[in-house]
Amino acid sequence: MKRIIALAMLALFLSTGPASAAYKVGVLSDLTGPTSSVGVSYAQGIKDCITYVNENGGINGQPVELIQVDYAYNVQQALAAYKRFLSSGIVALQGWGTGDTEALVKFVAKDKIPVFSASYSPHLMDPSKAPYNFTISPDYSTQGRAGLKYLRETWQQERAPKLAFMFPDNPYGTVPIAAMKEYAAELGFEVVGQENVDLKAIDATPQLLSLKKVEPDFIWTGGTTPSTAVIMKDAQKLGIASTFLTNIWSSDEDIFKLAGEAATGHFGIQAAAIYGQDVPGMAVIRNITGDTPQMTHYLRGFVSALVMCEGMKMAAAQGEVTGESLKNALESMRDYDPMGLAPAVSFFENDHRPNMAVNICTFREGKLEFVKTETLERKMEWLGQ
Amino acid sequence: MQKCGLFYTSYAAEDALFPSRFQKGCLALFFAALLACPLALDAYAISVLNLILIAVIGAVSLNLLTGMCGQMSLGHGAFVGVGAYGAAVLSNMGLPFFAALLGGGLLAAMVGMFFGIPSLRLKGIYLAISTLAAQLILEYVFLHWSGFTGGANGLPVEPPQIFGYSFDSDASIFYLILGVTTLSVLAVSNVARCRSGRAFVAIRDYHQSAENVGVNLFTFKLQAFGFSSFLAGIAGGLWAHYTMYITPEQFSISLSVSYLAMIIIGGMGSVLGSIFGAIFITLLPEALNLITTGLAGIAPDMSALIIPMKEGVFGLMLVLFLIFEPEGLARKWRLTKAYWKLYPFAY
Repeated sequence: MKRIIALAMLALFLSTGPASAAYKVGVLSDLTGPTSSVGVSYAQGIKDCITYVNENGGINGQPVELIQVDYAYNVQQALAAYKRFLSSGIVALQGWGTGDTEALVKFVAKDKIPVFSASYSPHLMDPSKAPYNFTISPDYSTQGRAGLKYLRETWQQERAPKLAFMFPDNPYGTVPIAAMKEYAAELGFEVVGQENVDLKAIDATPQLLSLKKVEPDFIWTGGTTPSTAVIMKDAQKLGIASTFLTNIWSSDEDIFKLAGEAATGHFGIQAAAIYGQDVPGMAVIRNITGDTPQMTHYLRGFVSALVMCEGMKMAAAQGEVTGESLKNALESMRDYDPMGLAPAVSFFENDHRPNMAVNICTFREGKLEFVKTETLERKMEWLGQ
Repeated sequence: MQKCGLFYTSYAAEDALFPSRFQKGCLALFFAALLACPLALDAYAISVLNLILIAVIGAVSLNLLTGMCGQMSLGHGAFVGVGAYGAAVLSNMGLPFFAALLGGGLLAAMVGMFFGIPSLRLKGIYLAISTLAAQLILEYVFLHWSGFTGGANGLPVEPPQIFGYSFDSDASIFYLILGVTTLSVLAVSNVARCRSGRAFVAIRDYHQSAENVGVNLFTFKLQAFGFSSFLAGIAGGLWAHYTMYITPEQFSISLSVSYLAMIIIGGMGSVLGSIFGAIFITLLPEALNLITTGLAGIAPDMSALIIPMKEGVFGLMLVLFLIFEPEGLARKWRLTKAYWKLYPFAY
């Protein structure tokens, strides 16, 4: 028995391996928690990107090593995981949700560890509040504004288009609403109502019935794919003719599995390309994934790691790669094109919004279809709002 | 350990918190080891210790309310949140750390007592639902009262400063949290032994009998809510100063449930049980994480299967505990002590 234990310990020790000269990066993933349906895909994107970078020369010849922890969307576990990463000597972190990214804001600033998260809360874009936080997509408010701009551009009728909002009453749902309402008024929308639909809702009829009375032309939904599917199915059942615009986490390839034909013709906002889209980087993605279609979250994870690696290369060209040098390198990044897989990325010392662009998609024939990249002006008064 | 043959010559001696010299010695050694932890352990281990210590305060306070007084609460996570926001706001206003911490605790106590008022009419599952309502209402307040709580954007908090010294590292704040936790645990232990504590137990065991012997149900139930929420608020204040950034998501129903899990696993109505429960529930995900990551290292292809098993194992552990040790880890500890007391004779 003792021998077996000793052997197991040895195997565990060998599997963790001796300290190499690799650049270590922590990956905080939700593989088993409430957001795991998208978290697994995103985490795989990060992993595949690092494999791709390592196979193509790494960071000036040095490989990147990932240390992944599944924190199951629990802030306490995220905190402990972060400390574990820190003890292992990471230079950067690939984070995930809003709760954990916010809980770590002060820690990463103190420890000088740049974080790329998949939370796009507006205040994470403001370096005066979150100096070490980066993302590859602009904040939820900017995404929403760009979506509204697209809807306004396509609006043909004389009268002002009527707009309503449906979102969960939680931090993620409520954060862009005020900014979007303000911009909608500026663009000439008439805001006619708002309703709350929980992320776990199985029925949205009461909310839709009250919106049906005010006959909105467009309804913004900010939830998750399952809650959006519930809304779309119920809207079809009630004969509501409004067009939906969904935010970045409210629609993905699963929308047709969950909502069926009710999803057809609506629009969604995405930050990364859709699998199979005609962009230069798609050949690489197809090669890595063996032509197996992946969700758009996978591509977003891939781009997040790609931008981080580009920052590391820039830092390495200047000298040593540390958290601080990586931050400085990232802040000097201008119009870096992640192989067309997402809009080009620039960070500034006083502005961490990667760009002001989102991809508008539509849902047609059971698939997500790319429509247009909508770009806004980089207004400083929008930073952090 | 209480030795055979130890007998008391006064009531005070029998009532002592640590009756034997051996116990005091063990406790002193334990504290010496704890104090030496930051010298020997890395940041990760200390941060886990910090999380455990904060969880101990939360669990011990809920155990006072639920385990000792029999008042079921599903809103404890929100009371922790009230303390966190209260302490954070006071701290940001420039109040010294301990004043802000106490302020947060008092605010939580007031809110806790307010939501404890229905406890005179409601008990058991009904009270659980009423406290669940408190959880939902308070979560709403955290999110929408943005002038006070920062709303969806959260609230940044500076690390504690005492006489100009900033407790901004895991090791330094560890001593601060350890001190507050020790005081909290001692306070609850003493409350359990005093008049109020006995009244709590009487109410838990049978409220009508308690009333018949002169226990004022309303006063003591409110006292239990007040004191329990005060300590929950203290835990929240420490959490806010430790993480330096609080958002409504941190004080959701899952926090309340995890505190309940702690006192059930540890042992209802036992102070030591709350400590065991807090350690167990905080360490279990960490241990499962280490194991799954280790196994994934040995068999990378298996990781996709092994990692999702984690939640299942966590659930299974809880169920097994409830079946085989329903009185929690505290009882297991008592049995272990009894075994060694009698060793090598079985009887």
